[in-house]
Amino acid sequence: MNRKLALLALCALAACAKPVTPGTQPSAGGPIGYLRMDDVIKHHPLYAQLAQYQTNIDALELGGTVPHAIANADVKKAQAALSKELQDAANRTKAVLDQKQKTYQDREAQAIAQALRASGVSAPGAGTVAREVSQTAGAQASAVSRSAQRDFAAYQHSLQDQNQAELSAAQHAITDRANRTYRARQDELQAKEASLTLELANKDAATRLALKTKLSSLALDDTSREDAKTKLEALDRSEADAIGAMKNRDGQTLAALQTQLRAQVQAQMRSQAAAINARTLAKLQSRENDLRREFTAGAPATSVVAGGKPGAGAPAQNLPPALRERIAHLHADYQKQFTADAQATIDDFQKTRLDLSRRYAALGGADAAAGADARDQIASLERKRSALYDQMVDQIKREATLMAHQRGLAVVVSNPVAEIRGVDLTDDVAKDVETLHE
Amino acid sequence: MSKHRYPILAATALAVVLAAPAALAADVTDIGFVDQEALSSLPAFASANRQLNDYGQGLQRQFTARAKGASQDQQQKLQQQFQSEMQQKQQQLFGPLFAKAQVAIASVASSKNLTVIIDKRIVVAGGVDITGNVRDLLTAPGDPVPPVATPPPSSVGYIDQGSIDGVPKVKSAEEEFAKFRSDEDKSASDKMKAAKSESDREAVLKDYRKALDDEGTKVVKPVLDQTRSAIAGVAKKRGLALVIDRSMIIFGGTDITSDVTGAIK
Repeated sequence: MNRKLALLALCALAACAKPVTPGTQPSAGGPIGYLRMDDVIKHHPLYAQLAQYQTNIDALELGGTVPHAIANADVKKAQAALSKELQDAANRTKAVLDQKQKTYQDREAQAIAQALRASGVSAPGAGTVAREVSQTAGAQASAVSRSAQRDFAAYQHSLQDQNQAELSAAQHAITDRANRTYRARQDELQAKEASLTLELANKDAATRLALKTKLSSLALDDTSREDAKTKLEALDRSEADAIGAMKNRDGQTLAALQTQLRAQVQAQMRSQAAAINARTLAKLQSRENDLRREFTAGAPATSVVAGGKPGAGAPAQNLPPALRERIAHLHADYQKQFTADAQATIDDFQKTRLDLSRRYAALGGADAAAGADARDQIASLERKRSALYDQMVDQIKREATLMAHQRGLAVVVSNPVAEIRGVDLTDDVAKDVETLHE
Repeated sequence: MSKHRYPILAATALAVVLAAPAALAADVTDIGFVDQEALSSLPAFASANRQLNDYGQGLQRQFTARAKGASQDQQQKLQQQFQSEMQQKQQQLFGPLFAKAQVAIASVASSKNLTVIIDKRIVVAGGVDITGNVRDLLTAPGDPVPPVATPPPSSVGYIDQGSIDGVPKVKSAEEEFAKFRSDEDKSASDKMKAAKSESDREAVLKDYRKALDDEGTKVVKPVLDQTRSAIAGVAKKRGLALVIDRSMIIFGGTDITSDVTGAIK
């Protein structure tokens, strides 16, 4: 009885110590084994990279990119410069308007005095009328000036907002492009690292397995055990060194790329900001010129209208009817002229608005193009993820095959819906896989 | 005497422990597998694939032309119509090929005493690979001869996930989760666009995943656990070793779908 037990025990030990040739098929008959691949894969040394692919895919699918810090100090500087230029332009315009207002008031006062003198009105009387008209003109000119300035300020704010939006959109598009370039390179290098990791693991798989099998033998003497352990450690170290060296190189490559991209982004932003700011300033300048023209061409009109009623600033009632009529005609003419000028300015303003709207639509188009880029990138990441997953699964399968052979399993399947009488290899394969690249 | 006895007994105990899981599981010799990808590259399948692709492209052109100016409802109807035509064509092109492949697989399985043929994709190790035999039969002149006997009961069971998903309780949980996911997608997408820094984006992504995980645990997991338990119960009762999804069964196997749907209703 004891001999039988001893024989059984020896057979069992012999089976444990039996070296396994990688790639050997499991037994033709035997129990069913199974493993939960989804669990095992989480223990694979390359799982972090697989998860990173998924994270990037998720981020892109949610409509964002995964950025890295690219300084936008230049953009802020450009925005501050633009803001100052706009303020300067507003101040210049205000000064021009004030100056014009005063000039036209003086000219008008003189013209009226002259007209009254020619009509035989005495000098003091002419002076009184001229002052009255001049005061009315001054009030009206102030109203025109205030209105024009309000208009100009509104236009300026509108342009500033548009300018800001354009700058933000341009910045977004440029950094997005740079981020995509960076990530594509990062993915490419990571794929190469994964490939090297797998390649090394595969190359050393037979040696590693033989050493591990040797170490699992209970009959191994201490010296041989130490020797096998040292060899296994040396193998692991050699792999880790090769992978570490590659990672270092890749890290340097990525750092250099980041510096290069940052410089590119800044240069592109400077150029874009300059173009956008120049357009904005040109519009402001044009508007300012229009205002000047209005005041130059319609100078006497300032005494007449400002959106007021004809004759609102009419001279004293004691003037001869012919003179009053002449002044009334002048009022009507100037009002007509002013309305025409104002309408031209409004039309011009509308044209500018339309132009800006069109450019916004174009920016929308740029967004759509960026979306298409993102879809391409998602597809590329999914391909890479799938390729890496397949490589990892292949490696897991090789480990599981060896284990199946050792345990005499006929077949091992992955991810069964339910398992009743099978042998669960999940934890053991996970442990083996975990130590693959240590 | 006793000095020698204990180590032997200990070694025996160790051997029993090492062998325990295998001893509890029944031996099988009747599981085969086929590499469907390899079969799909056979000339007959490749040609059918090309024809289907050409047909699909033609249909797509027609759809694009007819959908121009059509209302959304009309476009949806057109889409359904084209999908139906595509399915008919697929059936017409692949139906006879699949039927022939099924006969070839059944014939090889019968000749090798295999009770179930599964898809290679889920085979991690072992099993009997009959891909080559099936390919030979499919490329040989004439039709393969069907086996005389029906396959014996297999220790491998399967369920049709589609039918399980149709059970009201499961369907309702999945729909609830799908709606939650759709809302979360939109909300996370908006937050992602508004995020100003990398850490903001990472936080959005983290929150998004956590929200999905939490909702999955709350809504889907209880139903999933119940389903798994029902499958295990039915499988045990029917004496099965394990159960896999129907999509992975190519031939044979024991269908336990109706028993499972009955148990979880």
